[in-house]
Amino acid sequence: MQPLLTAEDVTYSFGPTHALDSASLRVYAGEVLALMGPSGSGKSTLLHCLAGILTPDSGQVTFDGRDITAMSDTARSALRRTDFGFVFQFGQLVPELSCLENVALPLRLAGVGRREAQRRSAEWLERLEVADVAGKRPGQASGGQGQRVAVARALVTRPRVIFADEPTGALDSLNGERVMQLFIAAARDTGAAVVLVTHEARVAAYSDREAVVRDGRVREQEYAR
Amino acid sequence: MRRWFTELSLGVRLSVAGGRSSVARLAMISVGVGLGVAMLLFAATVPAVVSARDARIGARAVDRSLDLPRGEDTVLLMDVKSEFRGRQIDGYLVQAEGARSPLPPGVTRRLAPGEMVASPAMKRLLDSEEGALLRGRWGERVVGTIGAAGLGGPGELYFYQGSDRLTEESGYRVRAFGDAEVAQGVPPVLLLLGVVGLVVLLLPVLIFVTTAVRFGSESRDRQLAALRLVGSDAVMTRRIAAGETLVGAVLGLLTGGLFFLGLGALAGRAVPERFSFYPADFRPVPLLALLVIVLVPVSAVLVTQSALRRVVVEPLGVVRRSGDRRRRLWWRLILPVAGLALLYPLHEGLDQRAEGFEYQVMAGVALLLVGVALLLPWLVEATVHRLGGGGVAWELAVRRLQLDSGTAVRAVSGIAVSVAGVIALQGLLVAVQAQYTRETGHVTDRYQAVAALRLADLDPAGPAMARLKSTPGVEAVGTAAWLRAVDPQGGSMTLRVGECGVLRQFGKVAECADGDVFVVTGQYAPAVAAGTTFGLAESFYEEPTQEWTLPGGVRPVPPVDDMLQAGGIILATPGAVRGVSTPLPADVFVALDPGDTDAMERLRNVVAAVDPSAYVRPVELRTVEAVLVTMRQGLLVGATALLLLIGASMLVNVVEQLRERRRLLAVLVAFGTRRGTLTGSVLYQVAIPVLLGLVLAVATGTGLGAVLQSAANAPVRFDWSGIGATSGAAALVVLLTTVATMPLLWRLTKPGGLRSE
Repeated sequence: MQPLLTAEDVTYSFGPTHALDSASLRVYAGEVLALMGPSGSGKSTLLHCLAGILTPDSGQVTFDGRDITAMSDTARSALRRTDFGFVFQFGQLVPELSCLENVALPLRLAGVGRREAQRRSAEWLERLEVADVAGKRPGQASGGQGQRVAVARALVTRPRVIFADEPTGALDSLNGERVMQLFIAAARDTGAAVVLVTHEARVAAYSDREAVVRDGRVREQEYAR
Repeated sequence: MRRWFTELSLGVRLSVAGGRSSVARLAMISVGVGLGVAMLLFAATVPAVVSARDARIGARAVDRSLDLPRGEDTVLLMDVKSEFRGRQIDGYLVQAEGARSPLPPGVTRRLAPGEMVASPAMKRLLDSEEGALLRGRWGERVVGTIGAAGLGGPGELYFYQGSDRLTEESGYRVRAFGDAEVAQGVPPVLLLLGVVGLVVLLLPVLIFVTTAVRFGSESRDRQLAALRLVGSDAVMTRRIAAGETLVGAVLGLLTGGLFFLGLGALAGRAVPERFSFYPADFRPVPLLALLVIVLVPVSAVLVTQSALRRVVVEPLGVVRRSGDRRRRLWWRLILPVAGLALLYPLHEGLDQRAEGFEYQVMAGVALLLVGVALLLPWLVEATVHRLGGGGVAWELAVRRLQLDSGTAVRAVSGIAVSVAGVIALQGLLVAVQAQYTRETGHVTDRYQAVAALRLADLDPAGPAMARLKSTPGVEAVGTAAWLRAVDPQGGSMTLRVGECGVLRQFGKVAECADGDVFVVTGQYAPAVAAGTTFGLAESFYEEPTQEWTLPGGVRPVPPVDDMLQAGGIILATPGAVRGVSTPLPADVFVALDPGDTDAMERLRNVVAAVDPSAYVRPVELRTVEAVLVTMRQGLLVGATALLLLIGASMLVNVVEQLRERRRLLAVLVAFGTRRGTLTGSVLYQVAIPVLLGLVLAVATGTGLGAVLQSAANAPVRFDWSGIGATSGAAALVVLLTTVATMPLLWRLTKPGGLRSE
């Protein structure tokens, strides 16, 4: 089976600090991969390199056989709009837009008309059980609700890969469990691969496979779930 | 009290010891407040500069109306007025009549004939290469310079030259220098212009100062939240915030003081030389300076406290009360309505007003312009709540403004107030200028210069005329003689005798040949008929000595200049006054070689040698009151400085906003948001309030301009080109400011800027 997304010998430095040191990783279509490791190990940097947000100093990242590292900034932006979705620790919703508009934003950026974008977004809010906050601004929703809105926003374009960086890091355990259940179920329904950065074992438990990042290098472990 | 002091000092400590971001915020506030303070202090120096200047000019002025006998303590003087390449030169010929003859201020010794003491600027000009053509105009020998006590300002071109040719007829006698009465009263209309200008230029500066103290307030609020976490209550938090603001304001005062000193050094050189001032004059009026020193920190603290009203600082963060509470209109209307009420009585014109109207105008204009700043937030909020649709950039911008338009409005309220004020002032200036500008109607294709000579023998065949005619660059010389014509009823008219080209300088004469006669018509011109016999006299004081009969075929012509309507004028060619003994002409009209740029200066040199008291001026199509030219220059300089100041404030504001939103920008970029979308969003966020601000400003400015024009008894007219230029310049500043933030936006949206995510 061909991997959907690969990183080969990726290195990345922030000035004198080596964040990634010949890190290599494979992500297969439809799988949930947990990237684990202590703080400062380079997991988030690896996620950013995989998502085309950061360009590695050396090494190669390919998506569907295409070399992301060789793409222009515009092409990488287009890739992120169409094939990738993102969930961050604090949701990072646009505070001035309503929850519905936040979910519709990636669709609007991809050129979908407002009405259609909002229709599809409403479906996702329904599916993630937050239809009641559709008209509210993120500041008027609870943390758990906001994170579910963020998940809906990541899924609405039906991306092929979703990058989630500590998606429950700001939630209590009950809310975190619920968000992960809904998130993983929805991702599996759409067939999207998930790259999940976490340092929590209970969150990593939702994954098919774990890869541990330490000192900028990746050690993969496979689990049969 | 001690607790208060502790909390205030904690705020002070936080502002200076809060790390790099605190120091950066403090620097922004102090530079912002400093710029405002410098402008306020600059304005506070104007009265001192003007009064010192007036005092020195008064000290050298003389009372010409005295009829004094010659004495040991008298001196004969003659005014000399000239120009050199557009720069005005003034001076006196001085002839001491006794051992105790007074010396002019700034002059330390008596001047022998031909000796000159010049102002330092005049001496520099005479010594320079540029002044080569001026050297020797009065046959001078420069023996020293005039001290500061005898000059209006250091840039003034002024001189005293000793003479031995002055007589009681050619000069006038005085016993002392110094005439306190010389200070001229300012006409009400010009006073109106001055006070409106002052308010228009200073009000936005005050608004800028209140904006500057809120630079970086969001990070300050987060700092306060951290203090709440460790046990500070809401009231304590406010006092700590006050302490923090005080540091910014005080540092701003100090920075402003430094800017002010720098500005003084620059301004002394930048102003036109007629208005130059000595560094010693550049001192703010103590009371006004004290007001600035007290009001700036006090208003800074009040603004901070008022801003905190809309913010709830909680231990776990900051909540802004920007939700659904809509802004109310009614109280925002109170001040502009009060301003209009104060200005309304002026529509009858200043003539009907009692003295002291300037305070009423200042208050009215200030209230109306403050009204713009108050109405703008309401207008922006009311408008953006009705906006919708559009692309992602538009939607992001509109939603942002719907959530919190206050920050954006704060940034543009200064520009709106400035534009409103400048439009009003420009409207008034244009109207007043129309009143003070004389369309001279002079025909410039024949003669380009005119000189009135009193002391020279202008016999057409004499040496003086020969010298004038042989001056390089002089192509032709025409003269006009003058006689008083007394009609049989005893009414006086003026008879001008000259060739057709010369007569065209007085009346709109079309067809003309030697032997023709014209009567200048006008509102006050007496009716004259052919065949009327006039008695002719050579001056106003003499009785007629000969008679002349107005010939048939006399043609009425309109005057070239409204000023000439005041009395009747008869224009006659030499052929029409044959047999009349005409006095020697006094007015000389000179045709100059248009390709010779130095011809005018050479002519002035020759005329000065023939008659030092004669003033050579170019024949102009129109003349504008010099003070209006200065005011227009002042308005331009002031408005430019203001726009730059506001541009800087907007830049800081937008940069601050971008920095505050860097996390969000990072997320948007992670989604694949195009840079163009983010740029467009920033542009819309700035452009929407600016556009609304300009609409409000144009409406207020034209309305205020109309009221002020009525006050100046001028017909109400709208200077659309001026309005367009002012609004355009403001829009350009906004556009440039936004463009200037683009590098930061692009940097924040580069991968390096996203690593915190």
